[in-house]
Amino acid sequence: MFATLAAAMLVALAPQRQSDTTFAVPAGASLSVNNFGGGIIVHGWSENRVKVHGETGRRGRVEVSLVGNTVVIKTGSREGAPSVIDLEITVPQTMALTLSGTYADITVDGVQGAISAETVNGEIDVRGGKGIVTLHSIQGGVTLADASGRIEVNSVNEDVELSNITGEIKVETTNGEVSLTGIKSSSVDAGTINGDVLYEGTVTDGGSYSLGSHNGDITVSVPEGANVTITAATANGDIDASFPLPMTSGVGKHRKTFKIGSGSARMELESFQGDIELRRPQELRDRVDRKHRDHDEHENDNDNSTRFNLHFNLNNVATYAARYAKAYAPKYAQAYAPVYARSYARAYSRGYRHLQTSPDTTSH
Amino acid sequence: MNDQWTNRLSEYVDGELDSTERATLEAHLATCGHCYATLGELRQVVARAQSLSNSEPESDLWPDIHARLTQDAARLTPGRRPGVSRRFSFSVPQLLAASIALVLLSGGGAWLALESRQSTPAPTVASAPRTRITREATWTGRTDVAIADLQTALTQNESRLDTATVRIVRQNLAIIDRAIADARIALQKDPGNAYLNLHLANTMRRKVELLRRVNDMAAARS
Repeated sequence: MFATLAAAMLVALAPQRQSDTTFAVPAGASLSVNNFGGGIIVHGWSENRVKVHGETGRRGRVEVSLVGNTVVIKTGSREGAPSVIDLEITVPQTMALTLSGTYADITVDGVQGAISAETVNGEIDVRGGKGIVTLHSIQGGVTLADASGRIEVNSVNEDVELSNITGEIKVETTNGEVSLTGIKSSSVDAGTINGDVLYEGTVTDGGSYSLGSHNGDITVSVPEGANVTITAATANGDIDASFPLPMTSGVGKHRKTFKIGSGSARMELESFQGDIELRRPQELRDRVDRKHRDHDEHENDNDNSTRFNLHFNLNNVATYAARYAKAYAPKYAQAYAPVYARSYARAYSRGYRHLQTSPDTTSH
Repeated sequence: MNDQWTNRLSEYVDGELDSTERATLEAHLATCGHCYATLGELRQVVARAQSLSNSEPESDLWPDIHARLTQDAARLTPGRRPGVSRRFSFSVPQLLAASIALVLLSGGGAWLALESRQSTPAPTVASAPRTRITREATWTGRTDVAIADLQTALTQNESRLDTATVRIVRQNLAIIDRAIADARIALQKDPGNAYLNLHLANTMRRKVELLRRVNDMAAARS
């Protein structure tokens, strides 16, 4: 039956500029996608079918086939340089995904299977995932939310952001921040060279947590009642906590060990240039909320300025000029009047004296 | 710096201490940063070793191993009973070197495959770092050699990558190099600082991993 299916599924979505194909897949089938440039968007749905929509342009083509138990989707170009192709694929929710690209943004939503996504120049944004989830980008931010299992996320030149994750976590970037929020894990290993690292999540008895940066601050939430031995080390920064800490040992100012409760979990925090901050979870959640609000406001400001630019005309300029003149004139008058009054008074008094004493004047 | 507990850490990790020893060691760990740092590294090494895939040896090594074991057994001192498992202890530098070596060995497959396709004969990943590791005197020296090998491979392979990617990779390697330089300068002033040693090792490991990733990526595009 699957042989027939495989033959029927060999679909080349070309030469149309866009095309759709939908087909049933065997239980437990996985998906493998390779797209050189463009986008790979994958949604999960409750049906046992796969739907492939491709925006191929004139030269691009999309090949869909079934190899073993894997649906394989490849893109290519009928001639010349590789084409930019946008793929939107809908799959059974539990399908395992292997997605790769070079100049490709990868977005996954609503899938509860294992996910492997790798791109060179592109963002990766995944919501969902269960089991082994590995996301890698060189030049692009990586965002993962609502996943569980064994998580490994890497970027090189951008930020990495994980939220609402359950499981074993390994995160790394070189030139970017690492943000871990809403984490439920007994094993976390996160690091960067240039950037801050933030961890807000559980500290499980017997767990292991390692967070490090070279040029950035490490900020960690420590829940009340946690049983953890924290070793905090920094070469050029400070170590600070917003709650009392029972210090167990310390080597100088820059390396300290704190045992909280039974101390069964191990937490290693290290930053060469940055500070190490220990906070209560709510403090960190508030900080993250503020950061998101600021970010949203900044985005809105950008939108507003874009709108202003889009509708730039003389009437608007006149309106703004009138509004600001009205608003600022009294302020400027108040601020500058005394200064200019004194200055003019001095100048005029000198001139007046000069007039009084000059021969020409006296001759009149 | 070593104390009476440093040599027992591997037993602790393997769960071979009795409850009294374990409790005593845990109390010691709470007050000894050196042992705590060493333990962390040991755990990393164990975790990395566990994540390695099993591979068949190229030839049957057992006859040589058996011969060595027989010789060792013959040399045992009277106080040492045959069959008692030997305890291994590790210094911090040994652990760091082992950690980085595992990174190299566990991830060099694609790079090795790529290198072996080069027309000019080149030392392979499997043999070159191993032979050099035995020759070099310090773990930083060994890691420098490994990094140099990976960088040479990257120079040969980067034509498979687009220029934007190469530029980004170089920028990030430069960022790591600055971090390594910072750590080295700090270590010159305070050579015995366990934290600085650890930080330097971690930063060098990052460089190894980045180089390995990029080489793997280049291999995938060949």
